[in-house]
Amino acid sequence: MQLSLTEEQSLIDASVRSLLDGEYDFVQRRRSLDASNGCRAELWAQFAAMGWLALPLPQAVGGLGGGALETGLLMRAFGRHLVVEPYLACAVLAGNVMAELGRPAQAQAWLPGLMDGRLRLALVHEEAGQRDPWARATTTAVRKGGQWELRGTKLLARGVPGADAMLVTATQAASGATAPRERVFLVRPGASGLSIEVARCADGAHAADLRLEGVTVDDRDQLDGGAPAQLRDACGRAVVALCWEAVGAMTAALEMTVAHARQRAQFGRPLIQFQVVEHRLAEMAVCCEESLAACELAALCLDRGDGDATGLASMAKAKVGRAARFVAQQAVQLHGAMGVTQELAIASYFRRLMAFTQQHGATDWHAQAFAEGRLGGDAWRQSSTLPATGPHRESAP
Amino acid sequence: MNLLLDPDDAAFREEVRAFLAAELTPALQRGQYLNAAIYPEPEISGAWQKILHRRGWLVPLWPVEWGGTGWKPVRRFIFETECALAGAPLVHPMGVRLVGPVLLRYGTEAQKQHYLPRILAGEDYWCQGFSESGAGSDLAALKLRAVPQGADYVLDGSKIWTTHAHHANCMFALVRTSSEGRRQDGITFLLIDMHSPGVTVRPIRTIGGDHDLNEVFFDQVRVPQANRVGEENTGWECARYLLEFERGAGIFSPRLRSQLKRVGDVMRSLQAQGTVLDGLLYRRFGNVLADLDTFEMLELKTFALLEPGRTPGPLSSVLKLRASRMRQAIAELGIEVLGPHSLRWHGAGEEPAIEAAEQALLPDFLNSRAATIFGGAQEIQLGIIAKTLLGDPLR
Repeated sequence: MQLSLTEEQSLIDASVRSLLDGEYDFVQRRRSLDASNGCRAELWAQFAAMGWLALPLPQAVGGLGGGALETGLLMRAFGRHLVVEPYLACAVLAGNVMAELGRPAQAQAWLPGLMDGRLRLALVHEEAGQRDPWARATTTAVRKGGQWELRGTKLLARGVPGADAMLVTATQAASGATAPRERVFLVRPGASGLSIEVARCADGAHAADLRLEGVTVDDRDQLDGGAPAQLRDACGRAVVALCWEAVGAMTAALEMTVAHARQRAQFGRPLIQFQVVEHRLAEMAVCCEESLAACELAALCLDRGDGDATGLASMAKAKVGRAARFVAQQAVQLHGAMGVTQELAIASYFRRLMAFTQQHGATDWHAQAFAEGRLGGDAWRQSSTLPATGPHRESAP
Repeated sequence: MNLLLDPDDAAFREEVRAFLAAELTPALQRGQYLNAAIYPEPEISGAWQKILHRRGWLVPLWPVEWGGTGWKPVRRFIFETECALAGAPLVHPMGVRLVGPVLLRYGTEAQKQHYLPRILAGEDYWCQGFSESGAGSDLAALKLRAVPQGADYVLDGSKIWTTHAHHANCMFALVRTSSEGRRQDGITFLLIDMHSPGVTVRPIRTIGGDHDLNEVFFDQVRVPQANRVGEENTGWECARYLLEFERGAGIFSPRLRSQLKRVGDVMRSLQAQGTVLDGLLYRRFGNVLADLDTFEMLELKTFALLEPGRTPGPLSSVLKLRASRMRQAIAELGIEVLGPHSLRWHGAGEEPAIEAAEQALLPDFLNSRAATIFGGAQEIQLGIIAKTLLGDPLR
């Protein structure tokens, strides 16, 4: 058991902090927001050169085989700097879906390009009216003349603008004794029947709504047939990574608020000397500490091979989501009127953290899903940190 | 970072489990399981203390020559986890966890030789004489006067919120020996025989109906000066050292999980009886469990990075704050689960008569309110956290 970073992990952490400290202050971030598709090409190339685009992918497909913890360290730094480049959507989420579900020819065609930064893929999964991020897509896939025909609407998929192709989820309806089956398809931006409406998210991310009105896809562009388990697993891992990003943003927001409270004077003394402010800051600091622990727990359980990605994701989101809301709201509150202007970075942190609470399943949804999953079994009655072994002799009823 | 157990730690865990399977009786489990007060009754905790002492596992933090185990922090965490999750009683901490370490550090050789073996064997039952009616969070305001007279001190005044004083034969106390200079510099740490003439114990019923707390009066009570720990007027240092153990040496997460297990048992039995638990209740449970899983990680991380035998210092305020609030959140969940049934008072008198898990939930909920007050109120903890986590000096 080791509860501090290894030398290699410290190195990853230091390198991402150092690159972003140089390349991504609040003014430089503007260039990413204004860049075409919200992605500065030269920066994305640097991500590739640092190995970050390969880091989250398994070694079996040529990736660096970084664990959830290593990915988390990158994400935390991205959160700290409010990076808008679609690292999570493209490198982590779509990359892993391709690595897990791609047929050999597809993997060969896409993964090297994804890792060296020439190509980008984006997963397109979520739909309007779905509170449940693990729900089966309502977009349909129908077999027609030896091809697939896709129909449906997708909502605010990040990373789509500028992507070379999209990985679109759709469900093949039940027929006879066969249960409905979710499948993943490679769809190119110019496909006929596809309309892409580019949109911006509240946190500045570039995204798109998709309408698929009879988009036809060849068999060779269908990923390995119906594998919802891997898809859920990849989505769960992405939620854990997202929570790491939130921790970075929360910590930065706290630091800014502490700095503000030290420097800003009212009634003849710095704000931080008012006990009500001091205690509020302490509560925010506790939220940050706890959220980091939630992310570490989820990542280390994944890296240990516990295999319960969606459960761990819901645990992390239920915890970090609540903490992020508190930290973001109090950060703005303690900045006073300046906190509700775009001139200060704190408003951008607020917008990012607010977006986080709704991304990939709302905080409350995850809390409930976590409980339903856990109460179905007995694992929750044992330690969350020590590896599972045989059952305890239970206490007297 | 990883959460894998080394083979020798995994073997140790099995050793602890085998010990629990052999030694932890259903009667002891039941005594702990149905407890809704701060500590289980002395016959329960005392019986378990004897079993642990026999095995040599009673005082992990003490030096090895005095019965310590020399465990690295992860082992202590494993031990506490296995004990709590198996439903073992909580050992009464006043002797082994609080006054013991103070004596080991500040006591004379004679005091160590006299008291430590008796603490280990459970021959003495200790209570803590710190708070007074005018000195709660502001502990240094304490007034209980101790005037030297011959070989003794003569004590006049009172202590309050004294847990289990009615069971105790010994008290460690902070007394005022000087009113010169800084308030903290006029305090002395004394060991008091509760059977001394002039000591009166008056019960205080807690909000949950239990008799845990007392007020203790001292009327011309003579205490030998030989019972002073450290020099006269240096008691504050002993107290600070002790508080570090009171706030920091406990491992809370496994006890919180067994508290939540009891609520889970009630949920399960309600469901078995046909009660439909709604989504809001699930959401609440999910939040509490996410908090607890997270807290366990935070606690393990904090302890694992410690040198053996040390307490986590100021970070223990974060743990204390979160643990006390979680204790309340779990207890409140219990009330929500039972709904209007939670209101039934079990037993005819003031003291609840608890025969089953669901009957413990109301008194537990009521008593849990004390968690954010004792051992340093949450407002005190927040002040400490602000000064440490947010960078020193804050002002």
